Amino acid sequence: MRSILTIILNDLQIFFSQRGNLPGLLIIPVLLTLVIGWSLGQIGGGGPMRLRVDLIDLDQSGMSAKLIEDLRAANDAIVLCPLDNDAEDFCSLGEEPLQLERAIERARTGRASALIVIPAGYAAALEAFEIISVDYYSLSDPMQPGPVLQSLNAVLQRASTASMTTGVADALLTNLTAAFELPPLGAETRDGFLGALYLRSQEMLTEQPAPVRFQVADAESASEDGSMNGFNQSAPGMGTLYVMFTVLGGMAVLLRERSQWTLQRLMALPLSRAQILGAKIGVYFSLGMIQYFIVFAVGAALGMDFGSSPAAILAVMAAFVLCITALTFALAPWIKSEGQARGLVLLLSLSLAPLGGAWWPLEIVPEFMQTLGHLSPVAWAMDGFHDLIWYNGGFTDVLPEVGVLIAAAVVLFAIGIRRFKYE
Amino acid sequence: MQLMVEARNLRKTYKRPDGSSIEAVKGVDLEIRQGEIFSLLGPNGAGKTTTISMISGLVEPTEGDASIGGYSITKEPMAAKRLMGFVPQEIALYPELSARQNLAFFGRMYGLGGKELGRRVDELLEFVDLSDRQNDRIDTFSGGMKRRINLAAGLLNNPPLVYMDEPTVGIDPQNRRRVLDTVKLLRDEHNMTVLYTTHLMEEAQELSDRVGIIDHGEIIAMGTQDELVQQVGEEDRLEITIGAQEIAESHLERMQQETAGVTRILCNPPEQVSDDSSESMPAKLTVFAKRGRTALPQILQDLDSAGVEIQSVAVREPDLEAVFLALTGRALRD
Repeated sequence: MRSILTIILNDLQIFFSQRGNLPGLLIIPVLLTLVIGWSLGQIGGGGPMRLRVDLIDLDQSGMSAKLIEDLRAANDAIVLCPLDNDAEDFCSLGEEPLQLERAIERARTGRASALIVIPAGYAAALEAFEIISVDYYSLSDPMQPGPVLQSLNAVLQRASTASMTTGVADALLTNLTAAFELPPLGAETRDGFLGALYLRSQEMLTEQPAPVRFQVADAESASEDGSMNGFNQSAPGMGTLYVMFTVLGGMAVLLRERSQWTLQRLMALPLSRAQILGAKIGVYFSLGMIQYFIVFAVGAALGMDFGSSPAAILAVMAAFVLCITALTFALAPWIKSEGQARGLVLLLSLSLAPLGGAWWPLEIVPEFMQTLGHLSPVAWAMDGFHDLIWYNGGFTDVLPEVGVLIAAAVVLFAIGIRRFKYE
Repeated sequence: MQLMVEARNLRKTYKRPDGSSIEAVKGVDLEIRQGEIFSLLGPNGAGKTTTISMISGLVEPTEGDASIGGYSITKEPMAAKRLMGFVPQEIALYPELSARQNLAFFGRMYGLGGKELGRRVDELLEFVDLSDRQNDRIDTFSGGMKRRINLAAGLLNNPPLVYMDEPTVGIDPQNRRRVLDTVKLLRDEHNMTVLYTTHLMEEAQELSDRVGIIDHGEIIAMGTQDELVQQVGEEDRLEITIGAQEIAESHLERMQQETAGVTRILCNPPEQVSDDSSESMPAKLTVFAKRGRTALPQILQDLDSAGVEIQSVAVREPDLEAVFLALTGRALRD
């Protein structure tokens, strides 16, 4: 272990002694993070990040009004159209009223993030403890719920649970009255009691968050006016891009180590091949993590949100860096010259990063591009960062992304280690 | 005397990109005794570096094994490598680091640390006479200085055995002399065993207690210099340059039969410098004779009577070049 650490420290010393590496590690990613963060218009009181959600209330009841109120409370970023439209017509409705058919078309074309339709009979169904469906239309993948669907789910879950609680209380009341041969309650008293119980249940569920609680940003991390910080996209995006530049650059260094015979000199030392390989992997893993820390530190200094699970952010970083380190070792044996390596680094970084949403959120590109983007490890890392930073997720929310990145790393390492040229 | 290195049937086969294979080393057997300088002498591409790379554990042999101080390099590589220092043909140093940083790093890899490491680095910088440049980056050094630090890096663990793969390639005569003196010092004052590869006959002659001559991946002769010379007979070698002329085979045969002491005559015919040139490299006769100086007048007379223009004549005492020539029919530098 001591030998491995000695090699890692030596290689890091060499990396940092080369002034040419500093612009790529420090200056350019920091500048790009700043420029992109600003260009997103989210720094220093930029406009709030808002999601346009059409809502049609066919029930027009107290319970449907409660549902709408809860939806607003669940996610500050959601703007319910036309109810919460502003003077500047954020909802882009114009003069025309929002009818169901037009609303469906708006959801289908992506002009609204989603459409929620509260059906007629919603309140009656809840009161009668019957099943009722709230219709939800959106382009987003239901297997990867976005902020609107998660908010709706959370609110509906509260409503269903409160309704169920009231139903249980009603049944209990009937049974107790019968068991103790008590006089039956008057209809008004009974409805008043159950109505109060329903509201209390809702309050309690609100106080104790629903199992699927969802926010674009929590109160602490959102800026005062509820706006999103532009660095929430630019820092993870640029960090991820420059991790690729820095770590994939290791292909050229590995080649140079062979051509200048320092790798062979290591081979002649009393070290096993596993120790040498482990050390070299450790070098590029360390460099990748350092790159992330630099960019995220800049983001943090400028008010970037970190969600509620910094450990999960570290896990996503580590999984992505491991995956790119593995890609470096898988490709290195095929590289014949440093020029070829540099070309490949540029090609991979500048194609996989935008494809995977490092430059802009994948949410804004067409669905087929979102699917295609997930061929890039960048997309999995960015999904993980979005879950944690944008949606305040926890460790379990990013397990799929971390799992995919680690699985890819295992496959790529298997190829790289098998083909690694020691001689 | 105790054996430090013992190699048995070492073979190395490389696959070419077209799927065919090439056997770089074809069953080398070697025994190197403790405290001796053993030179592996052969032309470029003979298999010297591949052989030394297999013995030092850099390259896995396709077949065979080598042991260092009794430890197999394939089965007990850690124990074997602890006994050796390695000075490769290339400057295997980090150009971005200073001489001291390079030596300190490789020293740490041998488990040295603290004051012991500092003392050893100081000793070696002194040994290669570069203490005053210890804090300068390697990429600011001359070729000769790099070679000296390269050598020092191979001695950090004070090894009983040092491999040196053509350590004088590409350096000026002054630095070359320093390296050769250092090699002798390692044996004479530090009792180290040295395996030294070279394609320069003069170096092998000056340094070696024993020599192995390698060609086309095979050891074709091995022993002390006297033993090798005796193997081919203690003959002088007359090297006669005769201009762009060809001599009939029959004439050479007659000259060999009729001149006392002559055992063999080799003729390298004139060679055209290039395809579109009418210029030719001069032809060269190499005459092996028991007493070269006695046979010389008769040979020159024969050539003169045959109308051959003689440009130069040199008489060589028996040496390793003659051994190589006798064994392969080619000069070491060919």
